[in-house]
Amino acid sequence: MIVAQRVGAKRHSTWARWQRWIRLTLLTIVLLAFTLLVIIPFIWMVVMSVRTTGEILNDPYGLPKTVRWQNYVKLMADPQIRFYRYFGNSVFASFFALLLNTILVTMGGYGFGRNRYRFRGRGVLFTILLLSLMLPGQAMYIAQFVMMSRYGLLNTRWSLVLLYAAEAVPVSTYLMATYFSQLPSELEDAARMDGCNDFGTFWRVMLPLSRPALATVILLNFMNFWNELMLALTMVTHPDLRTLPSAIMYFVGEHGADYAMAAASLVVAMLPIVLLYLFLSERFIEGLTAGAIKG
Amino acid sequence: METKAVTNAKLLAARRRHSGWVHPSKPWGAIALFIGPVMVYYCIFVIYPVLATFYYSLLHMTPTGGRIVTTFVGLGNFDRLLNDGIFIQAVKNTLRWGVVGPALEMLTATTLAVVVYFRVPLHRFYRTAWFTPVLVSGVIVGLVFRWVFNVDWGLLNVALRAIGLDRLALNWLGRRDTPLWCVVFVHYWATFGYSFILLLAGLTAIPEELIEASYIDGASTWQAVVKVMLPMLRPTFVTVLILSFMGKMRAFNVVWALTGGGPMHFSETVATYVQTLAFGQQSLDLGYPSAIAVAWFAVVCIGVGLLNRWLSRRVEQ
Repeated sequence: MIVAQRVGAKRHSTWARWQRWIRLTLLTIVLLAFTLLVIIPFIWMVVMSVRTTGEILNDPYGLPKTVRWQNYVKLMADPQIRFYRYFGNSVFASFFALLLNTILVTMGGYGFGRNRYRFRGRGVLFTILLLSLMLPGQAMYIAQFVMMSRYGLLNTRWSLVLLYAAEAVPVSTYLMATYFSQLPSELEDAARMDGCNDFGTFWRVMLPLSRPALATVILLNFMNFWNELMLALTMVTHPDLRTLPSAIMYFVGEHGADYAMAAASLVVAMLPIVLLYLFLSERFIEGLTAGAIKG
Repeated sequence: METKAVTNAKLLAARRRHSGWVHPSKPWGAIALFIGPVMVYYCIFVIYPVLATFYYSLLHMTPTGGRIVTTFVGLGNFDRLLNDGIFIQAVKNTLRWGVVGPALEMLTATTLAVVVYFRVPLHRFYRTAWFTPVLVSGVIVGLVFRWVFNVDWGLLNVALRAIGLDRLALNWLGRRDTPLWCVVFVHYWATFGYSFILLLAGLTAIPEELIEASYIDGASTWQAVVKVMLPMLRPTFVTVLILSFMGKMRAFNVVWALTGGGPMHFSETVATYVQTLAFGQQSLDLGYPSAIAVAWFAVVCIGVGLLNRWLSRRVEQ
């Protein structure tokens, strides 16, 4: 729009317009080349995943002569590989962590966000909560490991559920609190007059209104849980219980020479997020922008 | 009529409860109900582990047969840390990354954000495409780039040979000097889209009238960018820079999947070193890695504090 206004602002000669056109074309070529650099590894990976390793070694950059879906079939159905287990584990860990986290942070965000629940020290508590955004995972995961081993939760997917839900508390609470604090307090009064107690007000009136923020929080957290590696490697070492990120690390390590299968495993691990992104790209961008809080 | 009066009274009462001058009793039950669970949960799974890590850093802890045997060694772990060549190498690597990485990222991301801000053709496509690597797990990124840097048929070497630079077609991940820079590049590749989006959001938040006003005053586009937009972008810039720095200091996935800190610790970072020491093949002690984590946390805090102070002081001038 601003470009357009600039063009309209002055009367351009034909030559100036040509110059402008050339400049824009050059810029577009440069930007497209850059974009190609950004996405080419993904395209290459997807192409590799529908070829055979023999073909790849003969000609790493050839296009598939026939699209071979059997890599994926083998990945899922082969009794030695049974990759769907890892997919299932990732779904399990992400789903229950999201559930637990959502329950905690919607209520927490409501308590921290609304004026009605202000009390001396609430700000300090909130700051403590946010301070941990500075904390690197390394500063706690050794103790989390000891804790999980003490309560016999090592090598269970529940350990991941508990820790993922905790890890996402600060950002999610912050986002929910910000959103709740912007809802008008007349809503609370109205709900109270209709006979709602505090929880009823939250549950029947405010929570349904917070759906946009909730969607953002869930998307952001899902992405982080699905991609998490460090805790997944540390807490779960049993091969049957690994989540996708740690499973593909081991899979590529063990089947390192079988590039086609390795590429297929990466595509499977990436697929849910990329599909979501195709449909909800604006929401993703919005969510990650909102999640960036200065440390 | 009567109901209306009652309603009014209720409304007044409700209002009064909110206003400062009457001291109603706090809804403590509701406060506990809403804030209690999340705080308790957070204390158990985050605050306690952090404090415990600080305590562990003073111990020697050996997991043996499901139990953990501890001996108190005081500051011994920290003493050991200063003489640990690999740790010093890891710190050097991570700090080099912390300087070069954010610099590269801020430079390119700001340029791209300004370009896209002017709604060049295809700007929506660029935005979506550049952001894609941010969403994909660092593990996948790292593993794909292992192939990109492959000596024989990797994308990079094939491209170099195609343009006649055979001499530069190195074994990128197997040498002494290049693996760290491969890590820096791959992490940059995976995260610049995030900085870009944040900076673009910062630019979009600048009131358009200001930019238009500068045009009316006769500024060229270049002048408008340098004199109006970039100065207005400063607060966002500082935030993004700090986030980027912190991201590099704690990054694990990409490094672990790409090089695992190897070969021979040449691309070791503090995060991977802690992981190797604590949960690697021959790990015997959880106290020493805890000490590293604590020391590193302190270093990062100081780094962020300095950055913050330095950059905000320059704003005041």
